[in-house]
Amino acid sequence: MKITRYTYPLTQNFGRSLSPFFAHRLAGDFENQIEQLLDSVFDFNSGIGPFNTDGLFPLDIYEDEGNTYVRAELPGVDRKDIAVEVVDGNLEISATRNTGSGDNAEKISFKRVVSLPENTQTDKINASAENGVLTITLPKEEAAKPRKFTVSIN
Amino acid sequence: MTLLNSILPFTKRPQSPAVREAGPETTVRPHYTAAPADDASAWTLTVSLPGVAKEGLSITDEAGVLTIRGERSWKRPEDWTTLHRESADAPFLLALRHDGEIDVEKIKAGFADGILTATLPKAEALKPRKIAIN
Repeated sequence: MKITRYTYPLTQNFGRSLSPFFAHRLAGDFENQIEQLLDSVFDFNSGIGPFNTDGLFPLDIYEDEGNTYVRAELPGVDRKDIAVEVVDGNLEISATRNTGSGDNAEKISFKRVVSLPENTQTDKINASAENGVLTITLPKEEAAKPRKFTVSIN
Repeated sequence: MTLLNSILPFTKRPQSPAVREAGPETTVRPHYTAAPADDASAWTLTVSLPGVAKEGLSITDEAGVLTIRGERSWKRPEDWTTLHRESADAPFLLALRHDGEIDVEKIKAGFADGILTATLPKAEALKPRKIAIN
């Protein structure tokens, strides 16, 4: 597995404010969502194989106080065939699954893009794979963590 | 509302997920392929079971039905808030009827990275055989 980080200091998302709706942005771009919706209704790929071949894989997003977590179901994908990249404020997860051998060898590529929450420390992103599920940990900036202030009242 | 439902049954709403879950257990049918192996003496079954650990996987055979069940090993820690979900928490369940066409005793299975690969040898009677001509 390789983790690549690109920093484009000038193009960081200055315009974006921390929106309570970032979960929706995280969920990928609008076109992807429409595609997914259509696929879920029409099920174009049913019966083709054991896997979704539409280039998408299920993603879950969670958060706790210190981190945002992205979990992706990628069964049967070798760690070395998974690439997690941070490009211009987006988290890109690409994976290639090799199935079959010899003449039946087949390569299927998957890619999903998730908008990173603004307060992510992109240099401390961590990923691990277990049982075909990839977990990416995105630590939040210190300042974004909720702080407790005690104000004394005289 | 109950009275209205009895008069106009079509106004009845579909059950809410909470009600449905209280009934029979919800399971997810995993993606799978079953294809003849190279030498036609067996089938190769590939089942995609992401998030299932080896301990949570069971393969049983009863009355001509091969059942593969996988419990998801990962549980959301309590302090994690869900922002977006696409996967399910329900266990995987795949029941395949074979009616004795496979030799259950000789099934070989391997499990790695969420993929179960099993070789299901055909029952002796079904294997292709060549009959010598005198």
